[in-house]
Amino acid sequence: MKRFCLILAVTGSLFAGSVFAHHSFTAEYDPKKPVKMSGKVTEMKWSNPHGWIYVDVVGADGKVTNWALETSGANGLYRRGWRKEDMPAGTEVLFEGWQARNGKPAANISTITFKDGRRLFAGTSNSADPSSKQ
Amino acid sequence: MRNSMSKHNAMIFHFILALLLMPLVVAPLSAQGRGGQGGRGGQGGAEGRGGGGGRGQAANAPKPGPIRRTPDGKPDLSGFYQANAGGANYGLEQKAGEFLTPTTRGVVVDPTDRMLPYQDWSRKERLDRDTPQRGYDDPTAHCFVAGVPRSMYTPSPYQILQPPGYVVLLFERMSWRQIPLDGRQHLPDNVRLWQGDSIGHWEGDTLVVDTKNLNGKPWMNEVGDVLSHAAHIVERFTPTDADNIIYRATVTDPIAYTRPWTIEIPLTRQADGEILEVACHEDNGDLHHLKDVRDEYRAAQKKEK
Repeated sequence: MKRFCLILAVTGSLFAGSVFAHHSFTAEYDPKKPVKMSGKVTEMKWSNPHGWIYVDVVGADGKVTNWALETSGANGLYRRGWRKEDMPAGTEVLFEGWQARNGKPAANISTITFKDGRRLFAGTSNSADPSSKQ
Repeated sequence: MRNSMSKHNAMIFHFILALLLMPLVVAPLSAQGRGGQGGRGGQGGAEGRGGGGGRGQAANAPKPGPIRRTPDGKPDLSGFYQANAGGANYGLEQKAGEFLTPTTRGVVVDPTDRMLPYQDWSRKERLDRDTPQRGYDDPTAHCFVAGVPRSMYTPSPYQILQPPGYVVLLFERMSWRQIPLDGRQHLPDNVRLWQGDSIGHWEGDTLVVDTKNLNGKPWMNEVGDVLSHAAHIVERFTPTDADNIIYRATVTDPIAYTRPWTIEIPLTRQADGEILEVACHEDNGDLHHLKDVRDEYRAAQKKEK
C-alpha cells in the first residue's frame, strides 16, 4: 500500500526541477538535445541543492555510461512522499528528458517509466514543446 | 529529520497525500490516453500545489478565524508560511512558460501596466542575464542567500517568529532576516549586506518593514530581474484572517528603475509546516554545468575576435 500511494503522490512532481531550482535550468539543459534511454539505477543520491538518480545505460557499442538525472532537493523529495529506500539500485527504468548543454551525461527528466509500465511524470516545465523556443 | 513519523503514520500520510494529489494525476494520465504527449506534467509545479511545507487550506476547510493576537494586542504572524508567488522566482512580470521555465502570473501591481519600470541599462542587463551563458552568474547558483525581496517568494516555505521586540524570518536555505521593532535607525550607509538592514514597526494591523543597506548583488529571480545597491524596500505584511497575509513590497531604486514599483503576493499559514535543512553547498553539481556553458560561450566569443 505504501508503494502504491507513493507512486500516486509523486506522479506529476517527481523531479519538479524548475520549481525548486536554485538556478536556471534553461541555462543548464538543452532543448535541442532530447534524450530517451533505458538502464539500471546504480544510486539515488539525496543531496542539496538537488538530488540525483544515477542510471547505467548500455550503448549500442556495449559501452556503459552512467547518466545523472537531476531531481528536486532532498526537502522537495521528502515533501513529495519519497523515502530513501524507494529507488533501490538495480531498478530498471526508461527515462526521457533533455541533456546538459555541456554534453555531459546528465539530464533534466520529463518522465521515467518502470519495467512494469508505471510511468512517473516530471512536471519540470509547462512548455508544450521545448523546441519552440529556438 | 525532526518530527519523524512512525511507519503507520507514514502510511496514512502517503495515502492522504495521494488522495489530495489524485486530480493532478488523473489529468496527465487522461491526456496520455487521448494520444497527448502526457509526459510533461503541465503546469503542476509545486507552487500550484502549495509547494509543500505542510498542509495548506483544503477547499472544504473551515474558514480561518479572526487575526491572531499577541498579549500586547498586535497581530500574531508567527507560523510557517508558503507564498502563493505565481512563479515570481522565474519572473516578476507575467510571462508564458518556456523550456523548463513555468508560466509566471505576474506579481507587479504598480505600475498599472504590471511591467517593471526599468532604466534602459537595467532592462538590457536583465535580458542579458536571461541567457544560458549568464546562468552561472546568479548568486543563488553559488548558494548565496536570495536577498530581499527574493527570499520572500522562492518556492520553499519559511517560518515567521515573533519574540518580544522582533520579527524573525527563517528560510530553508539556511538564512534568516532579523527585524527589530524597537525604533532603532538603519546601519551606517557604508555597511552593505546580502539581506540588507531591516527595521520594522506596526501601522494598525500591518507590519511595515523598511530595508536599506543592500549590496546590490542578488538577482531578484532566475531570469535576472535587477536590483541595485541603492534600493530602498518597504514591505507591508497585512493579515486578513488567522491564516492569511497580504504581502506587498514597494521598491524605490533610482539607479535601476525610473519610478517606484510594488509587488503583491498572498502568504498562507501552513497548519503543520516544517523548515527542512537545505545545505546548498553539499553537492552543487549544477554549477559545473553552468560554468562549462559560460566558458564555452566565452571561448567562442574569443575565437570570433
